[in-house]
Amino acid sequence: MDVETANQAGPELETAVSAKRATPRFLIGLVVLTAVIFALARFTTGPIHDRFQTFTTIFLGIFIEAVPFLLAGSIVSGLIEIFIDRDWLARWVPRRAAAAALTGALMGFAFPVCECGVVPVTRRLYHKGLPLSVGVAFLLAAPVVNPIVILSTYAAFGWGPVLIGRLVFSVLIAFIAGLLFNLAAPEEALLPTTQADEACRVVDERQGTGYGRFWQALAIGGDDFMDMARYLIAGSMMAAAMQTLIPQSTLLALGSGPIISVIIMMALAFVLSICSTVDAFLALSFVNSFTTGSILAFLVFGPMVDIKSSLMFLGVFRKRAVLYLILLPMALSLLMGVAINSLIVQ
Amino acid sequence: MNRFLKIVLLLLLGVFLLLRVVDGTVLYYINQRFVWLTGLAAGGFVLVAASYFLVSGQQTHDHSHGHNHGDVTWAGLLLVALPLLLGWLVPSRPLGAAAIGNREINIGQMGALASVAPPQADNSMGLVAGEKNILDWLHEFQSSSDPADFAGQEVHVVGFVYRDGRFPADSFMVARFTVSCCVADAAPIGLIVRWPDAASLPTDQWVDVTGHFAVGDFDGQQVPILVVDDLTLVQPPAQPYLYL
Repeated sequence: MDVETANQAGPELETAVSAKRATPRFLIGLVVLTAVIFALARFTTGPIHDRFQTFTTIFLGIFIEAVPFLLAGSIVSGLIEIFIDRDWLARWVPRRAAAAALTGALMGFAFPVCECGVVPVTRRLYHKGLPLSVGVAFLLAAPVVNPIVILSTYAAFGWGPVLIGRLVFSVLIAFIAGLLFNLAAPEEALLPTTQADEACRVVDERQGTGYGRFWQALAIGGDDFMDMARYLIAGSMMAAAMQTLIPQSTLLALGSGPIISVIIMMALAFVLSICSTVDAFLALSFVNSFTTGSILAFLVFGPMVDIKSSLMFLGVFRKRAVLYLILLPMALSLLMGVAINSLIVQ
Repeated sequence: MNRFLKIVLLLLLGVFLLLRVVDGTVLYYINQRFVWLTGLAAGGFVLVAASYFLVSGQQTHDHSHGHNHGDVTWAGLLLVALPLLLGWLVPSRPLGAAAIGNREINIGQMGALASVAPPQADNSMGLVAGEKNILDWLHEFQSSSDPADFAGQEVHVVGFVYRDGRFPADSFMVARFTVSCCVADAAPIGLIVRWPDAASLPTDQWVDVTGHFAVGDFDGQQVPILVVDDLTLVQPPAQPYLYL
């Protein structure tokens, strides 16, 4: 943490040197970016200008909508770091694989976070020694299986097959993914900075009282935010670029067959990258024109994986693990959506 | 220095969000019902930035065991500065006609592709005809299969001018975007307007239209068409989107 590394010297001379070079590079980059953006905004005309303006508006839309949730998740992460005891966590998490994965899938009730906030929280819990499978199940299920999202889905669809299906299948898919990750060793799946580190223990549970510990938690949250925000921003930019370049109508016009509709709604969820707390309201607008299976696939797959969340996974997991985290929910959601559609037809 | 830049960026993010809420341009980006979250986040950023000063006197931790958590590279910091640069250098505008080219537009024809008007959310029944906005009218169109049901009804709506190849010279669309979360899910909706001087209106111009419906032909379909009695040019409204 920067808070702790600020005054250090000696063993990490290399880091110090690269840090010294970092500031001029940052400033040069800032000047170049400023010039490029200014030129694009003021000196272009016609379609390029329009596209850039639309891109900026959509990018800022996704960013402004998501950033409070990422900040909240980061602050929760800081509070966990300071106030949750490692041994307590170890005692509390079940040892058997199935029970552990199920616990992870239902942990959203204890930490009500959406898909932006869940990433820093998961990372911090890993740092505290949470088993890999529990974290994976939590990461995938928590954006849906938490009181806030249940309430918003209820507000949009009422009690019924959509709400129940969304909850049941989110838990099920997260549970399966958690079980599968049980087969991997933590050091295979997690980045070195994410892994639990005994040497850090001394600081992680450091002494302090009242307000001091609270401010420490906030500063750690700030570091976490800075760490994760770049993934959120890169992801929002990609989502905004996709939306500016690929017409949504092309996607929707592809058809509404029992299989293709599921694929289309999953692609839409991936590209739109909207927050799980509100996606139910959007899904509602597709009810009349899309199959039930595809609506459920949108509501189950979207919160687990979309452009911005899969980029944020890169801040926690190794690349191969991120690939599995995208492909597993994708395959399982597709299977679910198509199965539901074929059941309804019969 | 890394630490100093972090504090500055956190503070600026807070200031950026606060200014957007204060001048109302936050409504160009997200649904009104989430603005309180933006305000809360602005305060949160300031608090987090302040926390760095309040812990600076604490003992530090020797990270000689080979890793540095929380060390962000210059490129990472630059990426965090990007929303600030885009927000402050590019004039803030709501989505306009240019963004429609990328989206399926809903004019309330029967069998429209993606209906942006969920029947559950219909609350337009109690409104007088003159108070209904474009979204309310689309709800009504959905509840009827015959465009002639609306012929003669009075209409008063505000929206921006949109047109494409399907529109004859005396027609345009008075359009709005609906937003449920943020502009990422914005969907255009509109009414077809017939007005002899339609060609004089530049695209994206906001207009206040009063008139009545008549059944007409648009792109091969029978739809209610808004015939203008009175049309005035207006400034874009503070709240440019309609909320589902």
